[in-house]
Amino acid sequence: MTFITNSNSYELVIKKSESPIISFRIQFKIGSINDWKKQEGINALTASLIAQGGTKFLTYNEVVEKLYPWAGEIYFIADKELTTFIGSVHKDNLEGFYKIFSDLILNPRFDEEDFARVKDENLNFFENNLRSINDEDLGKQVLQTMIYKNHPYEKHHFGTVEGIKSIILDDVKKYYNENYTQENLVIGITGNISKEIINEIDSDFKKISLGKFQKTLLPKTEEIQDMEITIVEKSARATAISIGFPISVTRSDKDFYALMVANSYFGEHRTFNGVLMNKIRGDRGINYGDYSYIENFIQDGGTRFFIPNVARRQQFFSIWIRPTKPEDAHFSLRLAMKELKSLCESGISKEEFENARDFVINYSKLWAQTQSRSLGFELDSKFYKADYFIDKIEEELKQLSVDDVNSAIRKYLQYQNVKVAIICQNANELKEKILTNATSQIKYSTTVDESILREDESIINYSLNINKNKLNVLQVNQLFKK
Amino acid sequence: MFYIRIAFVILFLLNLKTMSQNKSKIFPYKVNEFTLSNGLKVISIPYDSKGIVAYYTVVRTGSRNEVEDGKSGFAHFFEHMMFRGTEKYSTKAYNEIVKKLGSDANAFTTDDWTCYHLVASSSALETIMDIESDRFQNLKYSVEGFKTESGAILGEYNKSYSNPIMTMFEKMQEAAFTTHTYKHTTMGFLKDIQDMPNQYEYSLQFFDRYYRPENCIVVVVGDFDQSKLELLANKYYGNWMRGNFNVEIPNEPQQTEPKFVDMKWNSKTLPMLMIGFHSPAFSDSEIDMPTMDLISQLYFSENSKLFQKLVIEEQLVEFVEGSGSDNRDPSMFIVLTRVKDKSNIEKVKEEISKTIEEIKTNPVSKEELEKVKSHLKYSFAMRMNTPDAIANTLSHYLQLTGNYESLNRVYELYEKITADDIIRIAQKYLTLNNSTTLTLTEEETK
Repeated sequence: MTFITNSNSYELVIKKSESPIISFRIQFKIGSINDWKKQEGINALTASLIAQGGTKFLTYNEVVEKLYPWAGEIYFIADKELTTFIGSVHKDNLEGFYKIFSDLILNPRFDEEDFARVKDENLNFFENNLRSINDEDLGKQVLQTMIYKNHPYEKHHFGTVEGIKSIILDDVKKYYNENYTQENLVIGITGNISKEIINEIDSDFKKISLGKFQKTLLPKTEEIQDMEITIVEKSARATAISIGFPISVTRSDKDFYALMVANSYFGEHRTFNGVLMNKIRGDRGINYGDYSYIENFIQDGGTRFFIPNVARRQQFFSIWIRPTKPEDAHFSLRLAMKELKSLCESGISKEEFENARDFVINYSKLWAQTQSRSLGFELDSKFYKADYFIDKIEEELKQLSVDDVNSAIRKYLQYQNVKVAIICQNANELKEKILTNATSQIKYSTTVDESILREDESIINYSLNINKNKLNVLQVNQLFKK
Repeated sequence: MFYIRIAFVILFLLNLKTMSQNKSKIFPYKVNEFTLSNGLKVISIPYDSKGIVAYYTVVRTGSRNEVEDGKSGFAHFFEHMMFRGTEKYSTKAYNEIVKKLGSDANAFTTDDWTCYHLVASSSALETIMDIESDRFQNLKYSVEGFKTESGAILGEYNKSYSNPIMTMFEKMQEAAFTTHTYKHTTMGFLKDIQDMPNQYEYSLQFFDRYYRPENCIVVVVGDFDQSKLELLANKYYGNWMRGNFNVEIPNEPQQTEPKFVDMKWNSKTLPMLMIGFHSPAFSDSEIDMPTMDLISQLYFSENSKLFQKLVIEEQLVEFVEGSGSDNRDPSMFIVLTRVKDKSNIEKVKEEISKTIEEIKTNPVSKEELEKVKSHLKYSFAMRMNTPDAIANTLSHYLQLTGNYESLNRVYELYEKITADDIIRIAQKYLTLNNSTTLTLTEEETK
């Protein structure tokens, strides 16, 4: 049973259940779009320090020590527009856990040594992690900085290297005081919780300042002209590719649900359902996987589902081509773009529509298997001012026709003006191939079906409509600097 | 007619037993178990999941079984090939059915087992059993399909090994083991992955050896009807033929001197230090491995003195952790840390050595031990929140011993472990001569 109250300045969502696991999602309507100029990263750094620091009454070491026997979990998600603290504990230990969890948020210690540690960690995230060891994520993040050039979403949600370096502890305290207010607050609780604990939460969180919710205005994204490509050069055994462009549709819109069906048909995440996966991996064995998305998508750990609470007012369409052998990268890019063109021009058939729609209706029911995730979707639905997402999917999809889906494809998807981020070892070599529209012959280690070879003939010289003025090569250490 | 059918089914099901709910055991759910005459074990757990069922097929074969030279990586390769279709259900037909069900279907491979898992609507149970039983008995793929899939395997290797930690684990196994098949990772040696397209015949042999009912266990958790499940198990798996292959896994000889490996990484990275110790195999009757689990929690978790000193107080490292893994044969206990400054590598190494000496000499207090036991108990309880999580946990223990009771027994062993046991087990395994130390640093640009 879900209750939503707005009796205070903050919003409270309670999902009562019989589960002995109690989960909290304490959300603030702030994100990297609220970062101060030249101090990009202050939102994530503040959240990091809250979740990985002490309270006014306990040092961080003491917090860890107290939580340990209860196996209590606390972590946070800081994205462009939302920052959410997530806590879970067994009901046996609720009282002690809640005191610490709420103190971390309401009475943070803001200790200099904790600050130094967390700041270092966030800097290392860029300098020694994202730029170095995860080419796939790097490609996706570069794509977002390209799509949102000169837009509040442009900077990485963890900021920039120079931005983080410039932040001192007093800045974090100031940011906290200005933004961690009741007007920005949404509290979600789920599990077998008593009225007493709800009253306690209400009384505790009412103590923070009221503040004033200031919605950051989001401008339109810059227009894309033809295919704009950034090739990032770094040491890499394979080449990662991300393709995308902004779309003016979110979960608040009816068309989003039609587009969900089209996207599932084209590139459902980590399944063999999609055209991209079947053409690139299934038929040709080029790489490990190929998918597409109609909103910001972050996989939830080892599952194939996405995390809730990274909702945004503006979204983007993207294609993720997992690393290919360097010699197959150009071909893979062409193949993905040709398929996108085909989707845009031909749409999907009634049978394809029915299969994809049925899949999404059933599959989406698995997304909220844990009550914490279900609570997360409840909070997302508030953000989008829509009904509970999982129910909404079924409701909307059951009303859809193939024409609705094809109409949404025509309205929101296109293949002419896209941005592409490529992570690879020999950037100039690939740049030259792309610039000259060189033939990208593919070599197979086995005999492949005649129909695939025929299809390849139409791919190897497929014109990518390159914007030659916007085909750049960057060295990896130039990224996320400022 | 109805009674005859039931009688027939009962004859077919051997060792049918039902464990009633026992609150003193860590695993709180009722478990049903029955075994078909061909040796296939079916474990089922009713769970209030509102129309959802998790369906796991455990194959007790992993990279541990890859005993022949040049053939590493095949257990994992099979995880991929199992999606390549049968005569009854081609890849396309299989995918269409999975799509129609809206199921979450995937697979994974480890050192010791391969797991195929689905979560779907309970109403789809018969369809799931039909398609799953079919591919386990009748997998059929062409040479071309086999070669094409080997490209995806190489793609998977490439995406995984851009991460230096993965490469360190690969190197650790290669350096620490001389004889046992744990010398290679689940993905296999790169040279073997590159040669996979030429190993079609061997792949058929591999399937014939291991994809047999006596080597597999089906685990069903969620909202289902037990009697229907038993009928369906018989209907779809009853004709699956037993195999007769026995693999001999070579024993790893005792390591007699410390090993050291320096690795260079040709991309930006912080230095990393990995220290591995040969550690005991999983057991639900001997305390060696459960004791190593407690050592991991006491001395290398976020709550340990080492973590507090190196990560929080002195801030010399980004993280430090140490743990072993449940394996069928003796495996490795690994301590891993990422050092913030190259000049501190030796100091960090020294701190880890001091901690190891402390484990071997200073008895842990009763209070600390109780905290760890509480942590393990609550961690477990908090994980058991979906049919998928329950099936996954139970499958883990089933692949190790074939018996789900191993889960309860291990937690019973945790309760019995004393401070003296910790000292004794640490003295046995955490020795210099039993260790392999890997240091990874960034390659200096010329």
